[in-house]
Amino acid sequence: MPASVLQRLPMPNLKIYSSVSVLALSACIYYAVQNIKDPKNIIDTENEIEKLGMNNTNSSDGPVRTVTQFLSDVFYLMMRENVCTWTMINMAFCWLILVGRVVQKLVFGELRVSEQQHLKDKFWNFIFYKFIFVFGVINVQYIDEVLLWCSWFAVLGFLHLLSQLCTDRFEYLSFSPTTPIWHHVKLMCLLAAILMLSCFMLLVSVFVGFFGGIHTFAFMSAEVIHLGVRTLHTIIRYGLHLYDLRQEGGMSAANQSEECKVWERRGSIAYYTEMGFELTALIIDLLHHIHMLFWSNIFLSMASLVICMQMRYLFYEIQRKYKKHRNYLWVRNHLEQNYPMATVEELTENSDNCAICWEKMDSARKLPCNHLFHNTCLLSWLEQDTSCPTCRLALNIQSTRRDPVEPPAEVAQPVRRHLSFFHFDGSRYVSWFPSFSVEINHSNLQRQEPAPATTSQLEAMARQVQTLFPHLTTSIIIDDLRVTRSVELTVENVLDGRLVAPHVFRDVDFTSPTSTTYAVASNEPDKERSWHELTATSDNVAENEDSAVIGSRFSKSSTEREQILLKRKEKLLHNARKRYIEKRKQTEHVHSQS
Amino acid sequence: MAGSALRRLMAEYKQLTLNPPEGIIAGPINEENFFEWEALITGPEGTCFEGGVFPAKLVFPSDYPLSPPKMQFTCEMFHPNIYSDGRVCISILHAPGDDPMGYETSAERWSPVQSVEKILLSVVSMLAEPNDESGANVDAAKMWRENRDEFNRIAEKIVRRTLGIPI
Repeated sequence: MPASVLQRLPMPNLKIYSSVSVLALSACIYYAVQNIKDPKNIIDTENEIEKLGMNNTNSSDGPVRTVTQFLSDVFYLMMRENVCTWTMINMAFCWLILVGRVVQKLVFGELRVSEQQHLKDKFWNFIFYKFIFVFGVINVQYIDEVLLWCSWFAVLGFLHLLSQLCTDRFEYLSFSPTTPIWHHVKLMCLLAAILMLSCFMLLVSVFVGFFGGIHTFAFMSAEVIHLGVRTLHTIIRYGLHLYDLRQEGGMSAANQSEECKVWERRGSIAYYTEMGFELTALIIDLLHHIHMLFWSNIFLSMASLVICMQMRYLFYEIQRKYKKHRNYLWVRNHLEQNYPMATVEELTENSDNCAICWEKMDSARKLPCNHLFHNTCLLSWLEQDTSCPTCRLALNIQSTRRDPVEPPAEVAQPVRRHLSFFHFDGSRYVSWFPSFSVEINHSNLQRQEPAPATTSQLEAMARQVQTLFPHLTTSIIIDDLRVTRSVELTVENVLDGRLVAPHVFRDVDFTSPTSTTYAVASNEPDKERSWHELTATSDNVAENEDSAVIGSRFSKSSTEREQILLKRKEKLLHNARKRYIEKRKQTEHVHSQS
Repeated sequence: MAGSALRRLMAEYKQLTLNPPEGIIAGPINEENFFEWEALITGPEGTCFEGGVFPAKLVFPSDYPLSPPKMQFTCEMFHPNIYSDGRVCISILHAPGDDPMGYETSAERWSPVQSVEKILLSVVSMLAEPNDESGANVDAAKMWRENRDEFNRIAEKIVRRTLGIPI
């Protein structure tokens, strides 16, 4: 790994570096100016200019020089001098770094650790691959060609790094509900600037392509387009995210239904833009690599090996994306054809929110097990798992299977409003799955005929119920679930007192070690006092806390929420400490008495 | 997308604040990053962890609730189902396997219907009843099986440490 080795090299401080660069440059300029003022040198310079083919008509005007001419003379002299040229190039790099620093200060502020790490990795990777490109693929022979490529890649790499930084920062900002608006504005401006610059660089590459030939153009433009696509991708993702936030904040009742429609479509829009951009970027990269491999006769070299490895990675990435997309399409078709949208009555009857996103359902899709979810939520879940999120009913979605979709199954048909008849043909989904019909009468929450169910499913449901009512034993819950076949109904039964918990005797004799710990303590009065001290100190803390408002409320301001959370935590800890001390005192008391 | 995950986390946070389960507090430490929470769990009564207040860190993925969060205790823990670095090993925190025939195990795994509250309640019941068959901490599992007194002594020590009471 080149990055890890290079990271350990001592890098000079930016301040020192830039001041040394400025010093070196000013020394060079001074040297050039001195040379030009020397009358003997003027002839030399003029000769040189003529030699270079720069026919400067003003040069014969004698010792009177205009400012621009003076500057151009200095410049030419410096170009001629090798040391001066290098100093100028160094200065240009220094400028680039300083510009980067300024942008970072303006837009990002302090970089987070992961951003720094990403930046470092990306930087060294970029340098590594471009080194291979310049010396392995293009195989440049002349130093000025190297310089041209270097400056091109310097600018390109600079933009790449900024773009990466923007993406990282955007992802971080999207983790917070309370980002000030100007952060978004700054980041968006920077992204737009990067996009514009990459368009400009595309023009440059077209221009260079006229002179350098089609291959140079292809090499240059591929990278610029790659950069542009990635930047645009981030911009669009960002835009969607901001739209999302705005929608959440200012949703009024009037345009709610319209917004909801947009919301429903938004899922697929987001998916397609995401996939489109990622795939485009990957394909451009792959084509670029193929071009490199075939154009420059480097089939048997280290460079070709590196390029092949990179191509292999890109190819697998594209393959993965393609498979994922096929899975997505399959699941979506399956969803649309097999599971009907819930009717308005069903929606009103089921007043719960979507169990996946916890938001209100204005439209929903119904699974064979009668559970309702948002279309997009369900789709994104079924892409990764093929069971109902609520009851774990296995659904017949096999993305690997390529048979045409079966005709829509009549999985559920509501008969009456309070009496729904539910027929489930298990063998249609999995060969070993049982078939059954259930008639649910909502008026008394009792089922009419027995229905078999796999025990694992029942156990899973029972566990859900038990998390709510830990005092009930699993067997009772399972017995009731056998009858109701629904977590909700069982929970209702429990709440209505139809399920009675037997008295379970918990093994309380656990705490014996405490007595052993305290039996060791020899001086009882001392111990007693220390307990009192502890209680007293913690009581002091309590007084302060009680004055503050801790009550169970959910503040709108994030700082207040943070403070309330902190106070609640302190209070919990304090109360726990107090209880613990009380209890120990009691046990000690009992021990001393006995 | 992070947007819907954020909304859901906000809803869960609100619910946990307004109707907190007994002895459990959870919320984002710093709202600049809503995807990293701290939870305080009180040890269940009648067990060796009784009275302790155990802090844990919850880290949510950006596609939450499609993928489960990661949970790690930030205090010292000694428990058969908690790794020595504090990571919690319970089935509810495992992403559903793609094995179509592994139906029975997938029934206990993560699903978007689960929530922070359910995770924390499961952890409480895990503290009460360790599952010594799937040992994340083999030493603890062995001690739990064979030398319960010693286990209880260590648990007591941990409880006092979390409460800041000198041993």
